[in-house]
Amino acid sequence: MLLRQTSRASNPAWYQEALDLDFQLHIRTDGRVVSAFFFDRHKAQWAKGLELTEADLRDPAKMETSAARILVQARSFKATALGVILHIGDEFATAELKPELDNPASLQELREAAIHKPDTILDDSSIPPEQNSWRVLPYPAQGSGVIGTTITLGRQYAPLLATFRQTGEAGNFPIITHALSAPLVTVMGLAQYAPPTPGKSTIAILQYPWFTALAFFNEHADLLLIRTLQHRLLRHSTQLRHAVATTNASLELIDPDILILSLGQDLDADLQRNLSSAFPSSGISLITPPTPDNIPAWCLEPVIAVTPPPKGATVPSLTFGIMRDEKWALQDFLPPPKEVVEIYPTRAEMRLLHGVRLARVGAFVIAVAVAVWFAFGILEIVRRDAWTFNTNEADFIKTRLQKLSVELQKSEHWDNMLEDRSKAWTSMELLSRLFPERSGVLVKNFSHTVRPDTAPGQAKIGFVKEWKITGLARDEALERLNTLNTQEGISAQFSEVARITGNPVFNPALRTRSIAVNVRTQENGSYKPLPLEETYDTDESSYSFSFDLTITQRFETSDPMAIHVAKAP
Amino acid sequence: MKFYSQSIALFGIVLPVLACALFAGLGFTLKSNMLDSYDTKHALFRTYETNRVKAHHVEKAISHQREHFDRWSELLAEDPSSAVNTNLRAIAETLPNKEFQKTAFERSTSKGGFGSVTAQPSSQLRIVFRGTFRTMQRAFLELESRMPQLQLQELRIEPNTNQQAPSALLNYQVNYTAWEN
Repeated sequence: MLLRQTSRASNPAWYQEALDLDFQLHIRTDGRVVSAFFFDRHKAQWAKGLELTEADLRDPAKMETSAARILVQARSFKATALGVILHIGDEFATAELKPELDNPASLQELREAAIHKPDTILDDSSIPPEQNSWRVLPYPAQGSGVIGTTITLGRQYAPLLATFRQTGEAGNFPIITHALSAPLVTVMGLAQYAPPTPGKSTIAILQYPWFTALAFFNEHADLLLIRTLQHRLLRHSTQLRHAVATTNASLELIDPDILILSLGQDLDADLQRNLSSAFPSSGISLITPPTPDNIPAWCLEPVIAVTPPPKGATVPSLTFGIMRDEKWALQDFLPPPKEVVEIYPTRAEMRLLHGVRLARVGAFVIAVAVAVWFAFGILEIVRRDAWTFNTNEADFIKTRLQKLSVELQKSEHWDNMLEDRSKAWTSMELLSRLFPERSGVLVKNFSHTVRPDTAPGQAKIGFVKEWKITGLARDEALERLNTLNTQEGISAQFSEVARITGNPVFNPALRTRSIAVNVRTQENGSYKPLPLEETYDTDESSYSFSFDLTITQRFETSDPMAIHVAKAP
Repeated sequence: MKFYSQSIALFGIVLPVLACALFAGLGFTLKSNMLDSYDTKHALFRTYETNRVKAHHVEKAISHQREHFDRWSELLAEDPSSAVNTNLRAIAETLPNKEFQKTAFERSTSKGGFGSVTAQPSSQLRIVFRGTFRTMQRAFLELESRMPQLQLQELRIEPNTNQQAPSALLNYQVNYTAWEN
């Protein structure tokens, strides 16, 4: 909300000093006249500001009107911020530090204490802190006796500056305020406009309508003492000459140069002449520095406040150096109250907030990128076939495969069990092929047996087929018997039977099966030689030989015809 | 004093980062769960595909055997003795009576032949015939074609030895192992 509704993150002026802003309004009050000037820092130009009166500065109703007018005027100059510097020249008082605070090294601590805990450093504890503001001013000169003093100003202009700040905040327009003690600024400006003569002590007399400030410098141009003489509506203090003389004597200054600065309209012009008679050995000068256009000669403080010495210019003394560099003379007497300052984030916090906003945008972008990445990843997954796959189908197909496998095993089992490994009609075909009609053979007996092998532990069992044929043979059949008694002869017969019957069990070509044959012939004892035309087939005495044929076909366990040992699944 | 730093850090950095981290964590968890689920499904899918292809091949392999298998199942469901006799009667009707005569039939449930080496149930059938060579061969061809569960264990063919009544018929003795379901 702070980022959106205010310009605190984007406009650095909110966190800058008023004197550092490009556009400044300097208001000077000396108790008699209120002057206002706009200063364009970039152009180094001064312009007359609004006509203001004491009432405008003190009456709350008029304050708001004045602030609103000033804001309008600043915006008309296209300014992005306004520094309001109030030069308070209608009062100036000093209050002594406690005597025990005599360590120059603790000046910075005293400076802070004067703002936040003035009662801890002031010698006079009766002054009410809620009505006044104190700022420490060091006395750098050796032998001054004290390390410094405090400048006291009232808080009567605090509401004015608060009104300016509130108006700026309401308009989201940075108005930064700064309340300066006009005499302190003038003392700082002496280094530029009336530098003390080296080797000579100096007394600066700053004439204001309501008081006269006296600043005493030693021969090294270091501040020894600053004091004030109140004279209100009088042209000058009746005690001035005496005060200068006694202080000069107490400080043991020898023929100091006396510089008079007239810082108000129509002030006592005879002061130089009056002092001449009292200080005949001193050089008394009336200082009238040149001022820019629109700035009266008696209105030096705004010019001094914004005009630093040229770069490289020699600083007359330590006093003048620290007054501007350490801003002892530019201290804000009426800063925003601590509780108001703490309402708003600091500049570092605003930068952090701004950075955090960018970080949040980055985090959001990363989050979106991650989300997109996830989305694409998920999309890629859900688009795959496997994602839409119904897992029940896996069980279904598994069960189906199991059933089919069992069915296949059953089918293969029965396919094996029902193989044509042993058929009567094929064996009879073998017999008729071995000994066709009128081949000169009379078969007396035929037997065929099939016996399985005994090989425990095997999944399949081989077997042996055996054919035994006994009979009689004439001479012309001997050659056939001899042919059958060879591996080639019997294999040829088996091949022929396999081809004719279509029964693969007779196929001798497989290496997992073998055929053995044995033929024994002997003379037929009842043989009676007769002419051929007198014989008939069943006449056993017409056969000259008897024979005994044994064929053994062995099938190994690896043969396709080998029989399954297991039961059907 | 920086009163807002903690709030800015908390609401501007910590909470958004935590929210982003939570979001990212949720995303990672979701995706991780999805990947786990996907891996499981993918594994099942691969198994399914493998099984489907196998089933297809098995189906293809047995499809042409199924018809035979059904017939086999019917044959094996019958009692072998009655089936043999029924078939022999039917065969006998197609053959000359004088050339095909069944003279004996025995059935034994004891294991023998092929039945003695396999766990498949079987019974032993012994049949004796008289007949001519070719007619008997035709009869055996028909019987063994009709009943492929018959595995020949022994076949003996002998001529008629009765000198007083010579005949062209031969004596046949066959032993079968009949597979049963």
